[in-house]
Amino acid sequence: MSLARKGRLITLIGLGLLALVYVRALAFTPVERLQGPAQKIYYLHVPAAIWAETAMFLVGLAGIFYLFLKDPRLDRFAEASAEAGTVFAGVVLTTGPIWGKPIWGTWWTWDARLTSTLFLFFLYIGYLLLRGAIDDGALRARYGAVLGICGMCLVPFIHLSVYLFRTLHPQPIVLKPSAPSLPGSMLVTLLLSFGVFTLLYVGFVMQRYALALAQAEQDERGAHA
Amino acid sequence: MPDVPHNSGYMVAAYIVTAAILVGYALSLYRRSEKR
Repeated sequence: MSLARKGRLITLIGLGLLALVYVRALAFTPVERLQGPAQKIYYLHVPAAIWAETAMFLVGLAGIFYLFLKDPRLDRFAEASAEAGTVFAGVVLTTGPIWGKPIWGTWWTWDARLTSTLFLFFLYIGYLLLRGAIDDGALRARYGAVLGICGMCLVPFIHLSVYLFRTLHPQPIVLKPSAPSLPGSMLVTLLLSFGVFTLLYVGFVMQRYALALAQAEQDERGAHA
Repeated sequence: MPDVPHNSGYMVAAYIVTAAILVGYALSLYRRSEKR
């Protein structure tokens, strides 16, 4: 089975399991008393945020290794991870304001966490635009690696922004040094959703990597013709 | 004890938007790979 087909299968399984997460979150997870049903956005918002940040971190790591090893597989992985990360950042930046409106009374506020996440999204867009604007493969990979490393440096700042600044955004209740302060049934739903988002990330990256590989082979054939 | 807020419309909107983004991207990958 080709890489693209494997990725497609994993994505399909991920989307099927996402439907099950929806059922569990909506029908079998208790409603939070103070926030009401809008709190259930948490089960999509948080896993998407974790993968939006992790994907950029992996883009940066692949960039560091690429600069040393010059292995095109690392560059293809970085490109694939950046595109998947853009999608997850898009989910974060749409579900966040939809959650914020009923709870905070506003769709958006320029606090550190929200602004830095928006900056991450723009970095992703900039990364993809930069890659699209350069024809020379080696130069594209090198510039991409440098921008990816800059993006990677932003990730810890985004995570710590709620501790460093006074923000409207709440502090983590799961990804923190002490035990998660979330009831068991809610934690199980969150972990299931995180597993599904992980599967989707893997499926997306495999498919996108296969596309980049096909493009590289096509470019090589064109160069020899 | 305060009543639970009635804001399920926001929840439904977020769930629909998330599904649309993820399925849309999966379809985009499928179409791009079929073109090759």
